[in-house]
Amino acid sequence: MISSILLLGGIGFLAALILGVSAVTFAVKMDPREQAVLEHLPGANCGACGYAGCAAFAHEITTNAEAEMACPAVNEEALQAISEVLGRTLGGSAPLIACVRCKGVPEQTVNRYEYVGPKDCRAAQLVAGGSKGCRYGCLGLGTCEAVCPFAAIMMGEDGLPHVIESLCTGCGKCIDACPRSIIQLIPRSGNYYVGCISKDIAKDMKPLCKVGCIKCGICADICPFEAITVSKDASAVIEQSKCNRCGLCVSVCPTGIIAAVRMPGKVRISPEKCKGCSICEQVCPVEAISGKVKEPYLVNEGKCIGCGLCIEKCPADAIERIIS
Amino acid sequence: MKTFKGGIHPPEEKKLVKDNPIVDFPLISRFYVLVQQHLGAPAKPIVSAGDEVRKGQVLSEPLGFVSVPVHAPTSGKVKEIGRMVHPVTGLLAPCIVIDADGKDEWADGLPLERDPFSMSREELLNAIKSAGIVGMGGATFPTHVKLSPPKDKPIDTFIVNGAECEPYLSSDHRLMLEQPDRILQGTRVAMRILGLDRATIAVEANKPDAIRLLREKAPADIQIEALKVKYPQGAEKQLINALTKREVPSGGLPMDVGAVVQNAGTCAAVWDACARGIPLIERITSVTGRGVVQPKNIRVRVGTLVREVIEFCGGLNEAAKIIFGGPMMGIAQFTQEIPIMKGTSGVLVLREEDTNITLYSACISCGRCVEACPMGLIPSVLSKLGEKGMWEKAVENNLLDCVECGSCTYVCPANRPIVHFVKHLKALSRAASAKSKGA
Repeated sequence: MISSILLLGGIGFLAALILGVSAVTFAVKMDPREQAVLEHLPGANCGACGYAGCAAFAHEITTNAEAEMACPAVNEEALQAISEVLGRTLGGSAPLIACVRCKGVPEQTVNRYEYVGPKDCRAAQLVAGGSKGCRYGCLGLGTCEAVCPFAAIMMGEDGLPHVIESLCTGCGKCIDACPRSIIQLIPRSGNYYVGCISKDIAKDMKPLCKVGCIKCGICADICPFEAITVSKDASAVIEQSKCNRCGLCVSVCPTGIIAAVRMPGKVRISPEKCKGCSICEQVCPVEAISGKVKEPYLVNEGKCIGCGLCIEKCPADAIERIIS
Repeated sequence: MKTFKGGIHPPEEKKLVKDNPIVDFPLISRFYVLVQQHLGAPAKPIVSAGDEVRKGQVLSEPLGFVSVPVHAPTSGKVKEIGRMVHPVTGLLAPCIVIDADGKDEWADGLPLERDPFSMSREELLNAIKSAGIVGMGGATFPTHVKLSPPKDKPIDTFIVNGAECEPYLSSDHRLMLEQPDRILQGTRVAMRILGLDRATIAVEANKPDAIRLLREKAPADIQIEALKVKYPQGAEKQLINALTKREVPSGGLPMDVGAVVQNAGTCAAVWDACARGIPLIERITSVTGRGVVQPKNIRVRVGTLVREVIEFCGGLNEAAKIIFGGPMMGIAQFTQEIPIMKGTSGVLVLREEDTNITLYSACISCGRCVEACPMGLIPSVLSKLGEKGMWEKAVENNLLDCVECGSCTYVCPANRPIVHFVKHLKALSRAASAKSKGA
């Protein structure tokens, strides 16, 4: 009895001693800030920063004083926290969001054949270039959903992937996985995109898909900022740096495929500041503003598309967006 | 009887068409000659819309050594250089459309008379390349490339592949029965090119009539070997293994073990090219399967629409699936508006009950695919990696040695599309290496 206690106790003491000594002598010196930074990173190890994972990036940004914030998934709050930990101001890149540039739901499109193979768009693409009649359209097997490390893409009942705005971090994993390059990253701030990338001319495309870009060019003509380009054999493309989110293109598109990742807020005219100059009424492209000269003007919220043209032109700074 | 390890025994289904003599497909009014009918570097059309062409005239210029031209299947006028669904890729590909004038006149000087056995090796190889000859078993690799192995790979074995192990197909069988002399003479031309004094023609034992006839006709330097009936007996590496007991090393080619294999139909085309200067503009194709009313073996010109071929065979009957080639390795088609190509050994039409399109389930690790794999791989592991897209791990598991014969998929009780997974993994690994090269 006694001997057993002594023996086991002795072994325990010896082991504790070895552990205690080695913990001191072989300790890995780690910058405590690294751990702190890691806690604020998303932890999805998506690799969008260009490093092997969140830990590798945390190490880089802590040890290298010139390293920029390369994580596209980090939010404003976390960026602030990391800046505090590191004691230097980090500039975040403009937050991006993924958008799916195809609106070809099964009811509006034709299939060339019935596909029965593995549920992976990349594998389906190998079979005669995919079953969808349109060779640019979404195959709808959800490879983007499967690779998204943030569960921000969900295959909808309409057979197309939907980006969940609050979860998407703009890491770009889905873009690499999509065999048809349908997904694109655009700035988060409510920008518009064209939901079609077909290069087929309208005559060839129309029998395959009823909701594709027919290259009519109305959007390009109406865009006040010349942000949209379209040609006979390329779908309309919105140049994001020029887009001012006026939304005029949405209202004129005959196939209704231009959409925004987040609709911009409508505007409101402050009655105290408005001097009743009527400039806003003149610039409004949708006749949403009305009123009498020298009296405060009013916005018809039902008509306002939130383009913001009036905000720019108002000499009295009386117009602002309603943040929804 | 000689054979290899592994493999499967699918129902042969050859009786549908094997006793039907070859019939000539009539001259039709329009041909669609795809520019790319071979594996390798592309070719460029050298005719333009409105040009008059004659039968056997060159229509395209090969761009590179591993490339061959295509030729006009009949005389007539080029309607346009259009685009057509390519039966292999399923995508639109450049295609020379020819309106026949009905005269079917040969180009100047064709067919000529010459003795291939007095021609030099280079002259023969040139004749083969300019005749546009490719492997007619289906892989369509340019024949002149296969017949000119590099100097550091000495060749001591030449095998003519008459195994025709794909179920349903009988085009090589009919050719061996009806025109054995073309095959034997073509074999001797190939032997002359390779500098060999003997060759073997390998035929599966389910064609006893062809074996008997070839043995009667064959000169002493050509041996006829009967092989066990087993799929994929006609796959290059399995054929070499069965006859010579040599194993092509992982990642290697038959020439690494001193062997060259040519399809029987290719040998016949080689003879036409070398002795008479006739390019590869027609081939023998089995139109078969229970989905077509009258299965036939036809001699058809390259560029004939499949729709017309099927009409010639009495039309479709409860058809569910049209396949170019055999049921094991052939390529399913989604339209009948595609042309016959140089490598179209068969047009197989299956009914719904002949196909298996049930959904697949999880791997039950039964190991049947491992037993069936003629390459000694572990298909179950590859299929699981395929589901996850883990191509790096798959390459470690010898992914690239898979010949995509389909034996594993055939035996899988869970209906797993294993070959599809393998093709998917191969595509991912190709894309990744292309990306790393570009970066």
